[in-house]
Amino acid sequence: MNIEEYILSGILEAYVLGELAAKEREEVEKNLQQYSALRDELSKIELTMESFLMKTAIKPRADVKRVLFKQINERPNGKVVSLVQAQSESSISWRYATAASVAIALLSSYLAYNYWSKYRKSESNLTELIAQNQRIAQDYNNVNLRLDRIETDLKVTSNPDFIRVVMKGTPNAPESIASVYWNATTKEVYLSIQHMKELSKENQYQLWAIIDGKPINCGVFDLGLAGIVKMKDALESPSTFAVTIEKRGGKTTPSLETMQVAGNLVKG
Amino acid sequence: MVARLIQRDQSALDYLYDRYSSALYGVVFRIVKKEELAEEVLQDVFLKVWDKIESYDSAKGKLFTWMVNIARNQAIDKSRSRETSKGKKTDDIDYLVNKIDIQENSHLQVDAIGLKEVLLKLSEDQQFIVNQLYLKGYTQSEVAAEFDIPLGTVKTRLRLAMIELRSILDIK
Repeated sequence: MNIEEYILSGILEAYVLGELAAKEREEVEKNLQQYSALRDELSKIELTMESFLMKTAIKPRADVKRVLFKQINERPNGKVVSLVQAQSESSISWRYATAASVAIALLSSYLAYNYWSKYRKSESNLTELIAQNQRIAQDYNNVNLRLDRIETDLKVTSNPDFIRVVMKGTPNAPESIASVYWNATTKEVYLSIQHMKELSKENQYQLWAIIDGKPINCGVFDLGLAGIVKMKDALESPSTFAVTIEKRGGKTTPSLETMQVAGNLVKG
Repeated sequence: MVARLIQRDQSALDYLYDRYSSALYGVVFRIVKKEELAEEVLQDVFLKVWDKIESYDSAKGKLFTWMVNIARNQAIDKSRSRETSKGKKTDDIDYLVNKIDIQENSHLQVDAIGLKEVLLKLSEDQQFIVNQLYLKGYTQSEVAAEFDIPLGTVKTRLRLAMIELRSILDIK
């Protein structure tokens, strides 16, 4: 049991005011035996009420006390209670007690239902929010990845050391076009595909750098690459870049009849 | 104290009366609103304390709390039985006359200034709750139903008011 919440519910105040139904009261009494924190709190509530009622006290006329003690002393054994009166009194208070507990029961079930539906609603809201949150996180990651890629691309394209070589479509594929970015200092080669044909699964594109009339392998690639992709470095100054279609994995010498795009390096 | 009462020691009752009769009379009077009735109820309360002291269990609360509950219940029973036997109209008039009575009853020493001081330190909501529950003797569910406040709110307001009162009245 959460003692703090139990105290905060105000149940002890209701208990002190004698307003709990028998079952609730028994429960409070049981809990009081068990938890000293509850006993301390109860004691404070009682002392507060006592102090408050002392402050709001009204002194009865002196006569009242005299009559009271006279009544007590005039009774044969100091204890006479009219049975009939006692019964009717208790039956009235029972009726009130019953009415009160029915009212409390109705009210509590209404409140319970009310809170239950509120709870359900906030629970589904929460699930929705969590899902939304995950979606947003995912989007954020995607955007971040794209941003990283664009930053790399920009580093290449905006670097004056890179020479752009546009490879136009050969008669094999007049529509195709791709570009190579070549850095004369670092010999790095980057590839950017503008438009090329889809290949069957067993084939791949292969990039070649023609150096002194000799084709040098710059690596294989597939379509579907976004942005600019780093290829194998061309170790010397190429005169031409070209792409052929080869069996998956590439070859050491190009099948020149399958050449798709080619472009000459224009030296600045 | 309780042991002495159980042994039918009248000096114990005497002590109890001197110590608590004013506080209890305040509770009763504010509920029944008529001096002669309040006096009658107060006597009944002490008779009941005297007769039923064996049923008091100190594990369940302080003796004063037990007596306050007897006083409240007796007073509420009394004022209700009167309300049901009389019409609402006469009751209203009765209440008005009563108010005048209260104002003119010089021997009623209401510590009104002290009370006001205490109550004014509470928020309006809390004043209202304390007033209804402790001074007018309404039950929490009655206040909830009558003034259309959720019972839970009544309970928490009372809880907060009690905590305020605790510091105002310097209860340690």
